[in-house]
Amino acid sequence: MDLVERYLQAVEFWLPKQQKADIIAELSEDLHAQIEDQAAVLGRALTEAEVEAILKQRGRPVLVANRFLPQEHLIGPVLFPIYIFVLKIVTAAYLVPWALVWIGMMVYSPDKRADFAAHWFARVGEGWGAIWSTAFIALGTVTLVFAVLERVQARKHFLEQWEPHKLPAVRNPALIPRSSSLFEAGATLFCLIWWPTHMYSGVVRLGPLAEISLSPVWPYFFWSILALTAVSVMISSANLMRPYWTMQRAVLRLLIDCAGATLFCLLLKANIVAGIAIPNTSPEKAIELTNALNLWMERGVLVAIAIGAITAGTSLYRIVRLKTGKLRPTLAFLAH
Amino acid sequence: MLAVLAALRDEQCGYTLRKTMVDQGLSIDEGTLYPLLRRLESQGLLASEWREHDKRNKRFYHLTADGTEILEQLLAEWRDIDSSINAILQKQGE
Repeated sequence: MDLVERYLQAVEFWLPKQQKADIIAELSEDLHAQIEDQAAVLGRALTEAEVEAILKQRGRPVLVANRFLPQEHLIGPVLFPIYIFVLKIVTAAYLVPWALVWIGMMVYSPDKRADFAAHWFARVGEGWGAIWSTAFIALGTVTLVFAVLERVQARKHFLEQWEPHKLPAVRNPALIPRSSSLFEAGATLFCLIWWPTHMYSGVVRLGPLAEISLSPVWPYFFWSILALTAVSVMISSANLMRPYWTMQRAVLRLLIDCAGATLFCLLLKANIVAGIAIPNTSPEKAIELTNALNLWMERGVLVAIAIGAITAGTSLYRIVRLKTGKLRPTLAFLAH
Repeated sequence: MLAVLAALRDEQCGYTLRKTMVDQGLSIDEGTLYPLLRRLESQGLLASEWREHDKRNKRFYHLTADGTEILEQLLAEWRDIDSSINAILQKQGE
């Protein structure tokens, strides 16, 4: 019966202290009664294999003990779906951009690129370690917050207090919100008027404070931005008149977003500021300022790439949904 | 729970109770039964005591007054549910 005693010892390890002796005494009695009954039926003592089969049928000791414990959880079934949702958002909005920026820095920065080429294994190892520790902190924080919320919910039942009239309006993913079309149309129209009048000369005057001269490549950017703005005005106007997504419109939006993001990145990298004239400032200081401005614009490229990638990703997702038929305005809506 | 309370109208120990229920066609494993018995005891529906029986110490369970009252309520609910389901089945059979 050594096997039985070992089994009961293993169960006892997981039991609550106050009830250990009592529960084990009962389980022991039950187990021995079953073994005796089976032996009486067979007309002989059970073999070790037969006793093992009985114990196996009873279940792993920790699972047997678990049924005597109060049922506890870190995050319960009520909050769990919300917890998973928040984890996904944190992963998509924080961890993925973090990883992309890291990769971008390795690829883009000349110093880091040279270092990476020389010690790629070590840098990949460092990056891998860094993303895991970042993920651990981010996701661990979310888990801790939800564990606290779970305890608060158990006491205050705040999730049970809700008002039906506060529910959000029915969302039609195929609809282009009129407010955003209006804003876009207004903003792009304003740019279309303001841009040629103020930016054509390649000199930006900030009142009496300063005068910024742009480099000789400026005309390329000027005309490209003007063209993109004009196309955006046309698209916004079309969206106002027929406010639902079609494949052509979604593809056009993707192309414009990509073109705009590319243009912006090229602008940031182009050392576009040729000079700054500030009253009562020495030429050396002005050159220093010019160089600093260009340097910071160049450093902003990574952020611009990240934003561009997110915007393009959103447009691409919209196209995929249109293609799979998941983004289609209802006939009732089209009738309006 | 209803089956366990009903079976404990006669005092029994855990193992005998399990065998009785299996013989009546209600299979319940010890991992479910013993925690249930403890829970019912903690709720005051059962009482238990250790006694020597057949040269072995066994824990015998029986219904308390509260347990008997709850059993009657559960039986009444069970009969109501049973007649409702029969009525639905009869209607569907028509």
